[in-house]
Amino acid sequence: MTQTVRLVLVDDHAMFRSGVKAELAEASVGAAGWAPEIVGEAADVDTAVKVVSQTRPDVVLLDVHLPGGMGNGAVDVLRGCVGLTTEAGQPVRFLALSVSDAAQDVIAVIRAGARGYVTKTIRATDLARAVARVRDGDAVFSPRLAGFVLDAFGSTAGEVAEVDEELDRLSAREREVMRLIARGYQYKEVAKELFISVKTVETHVSAVLRKLQLSSRHELTAWAVGRRIV
Amino acid sequence: MDRVSTPPVGTPGPVRPARRQVRVSHVLLFVGFLLVLAGLTMRTPMGGIARDPRYAVPLLAIAVGAFIAWYQVDANHIGRWAGRSAWGRAAAIGQVALGVVLAAIGGLVLMTQGRGVEGVWNGALAAFAVLLGVATVAAPFLVTLVRNLEKERIARVRATERADIAAHLHDSVLQTLALIQRRADDPATVVRLARRQERELRSWLYAGQPRQADSLAERITAAVHEVEDDHGIPVDLVITGDRPIDEVGEALVMAAREAVRNAVRHARPPVSVYAEVGLDQAELFVRDHGDGFDLDALEEVPADRLGVRESILARMARVGGSARVRRMSDGTEVALVVPLPSPNPAPAPGTQPPGIPAGQLDAVEQETLP
Repeated sequence: MTQTVRLVLVDDHAMFRSGVKAELAEASVGAAGWAPEIVGEAADVDTAVKVVSQTRPDVVLLDVHLPGGMGNGAVDVLRGCVGLTTEAGQPVRFLALSVSDAAQDVIAVIRAGARGYVTKTIRATDLARAVARVRDGDAVFSPRLAGFVLDAFGSTAGEVAEVDEELDRLSAREREVMRLIARGYQYKEVAKELFISVKTVETHVSAVLRKLQLSSRHELTAWAVGRRIV
Repeated sequence: MDRVSTPPVGTPGPVRPARRQVRVSHVLLFVGFLLVLAGLTMRTPMGGIARDPRYAVPLLAIAVGAFIAWYQVDANHIGRWAGRSAWGRAAAIGQVALGVVLAAIGGLVLMTQGRGVEGVWNGALAAFAVLLGVATVAAPFLVTLVRNLEKERIARVRATERADIAAHLHDSVLQTLALIQRRADDPATVVRLARRQERELRSWLYAGQPRQADSLAERITAAVHEVEDDHGIPVDLVITGDRPIDEVGEALVMAAREAVRNAVRHARPPVSVYAEVGLDQAELFVRDHGDGFDLDALEEVPADRLGVRESILARMARVGGSARVRRMSDGTEVALVVPLPSPNPAPAPGTQPPGIPAGQLDAVEQETLP
């Protein structure tokens, strides 16, 4: 039985919205075992907040640069939708989708609460899998986001957390997972490589997402300050 | 890692020399004015007053004060205030204050000649009252004037920025769009043009990340983009860390270029490249989704596969690194690892790295080309 995922698309380009709709309708059942139900669309911050609050979807696909609101695009939408839950009681989850891969954009939406970040060049099947993953409460990292994370947490320079709970550095395992994602590996390939289950990979990625959102590392706060987040 | 810094707005650099010229000309003007004054006072009936130190000294004080203050309150300078440093602003305000005080004392002394302390006091009081009255009446006008000036300045800055953006879009994006329309029947060219334009626009938009001009990350990026352009196949590139380029880095860049070229030529996209520049080693992974190739069977493969052995494996070995080709369930991954010496200043551009003679590099390069 294929599940349906209730989706809201937020993007100021109508052409892009219809493109995503068509792609997901085609790819999602085959690739990720779910069928999309588009329950709403929005082209600016204020409409987006209204539509998401009314429809309370499972997942919101959110463009980073949007007109309206306080001028912070997706960050304003995320702030306006804090604490929303679906009818099943799950939190409404956001997946950021953008052409921009500037560090401050990426870090800003993640810190404002998005569960993942992918660029618009993503393939339809990958997008379908990403939506399913976000719906299940897991995090979605693109290779580039993984690269940012490794840079921002000083992992490239060899900084490793002593205990997993430490917020300002990645543990050795988390670093390994991030490195493989940066190399373009799918989660299942990461799992195979490290001899762990896909579920464990997801757990590691979610832990990194949490650190990314809560850490007060200078690099992260500096990026966020550019978008008035902190 | 200051990636959000923007250049200060509205202070064009080359203003300073012009300002110095103005200063010199003003001084000359002032000296000339004094000379004329001195000349006039020599023979005329006014001379008696002007030669009398009781009048001459306060007059001179007024003139000097006026000069100092006027020089500062030049309209141009007000326009530039916003762009000045705090120190510059303080200096400017101090200059104006000094001028005003000098002129005021001069005027006061001049007006209250020989009337004693009480006279001075009364004069000062009266002058103050008049000034206060004038200020009250003129304040709204002054405030509007300053506001308008500020508005105008901001508008001008915006217009300049807009013109810059328009010029850039015209030179790049519009040109590419025109090209794409003309080459619409050739998908490969269209993709290549679009990809190149995208990259160029991105680097222009997010130029706030100052990477060193001649760094390892910069060179890897350039090499990957070159291959992308040559073959019209997009390559996802992620780099973490960076360091100045050296001979080891140079070898890594060249091997990486071969590996990426091999991937886009023989494999299927997506091709992704991940480079990690650490403290004591640099790693670079080229992942593709092709059918892969077998290193052990290299003896049997045709000439262009020689590129892999010569330009990747041998090159890595020469700098003490290693290259590994892995077949995966879906595609192939080439992993390059080189040990890094402790960071040292980059060699001057154009110099050949000492470890690899120039001729040898060329030979390898030619061998790999089909």
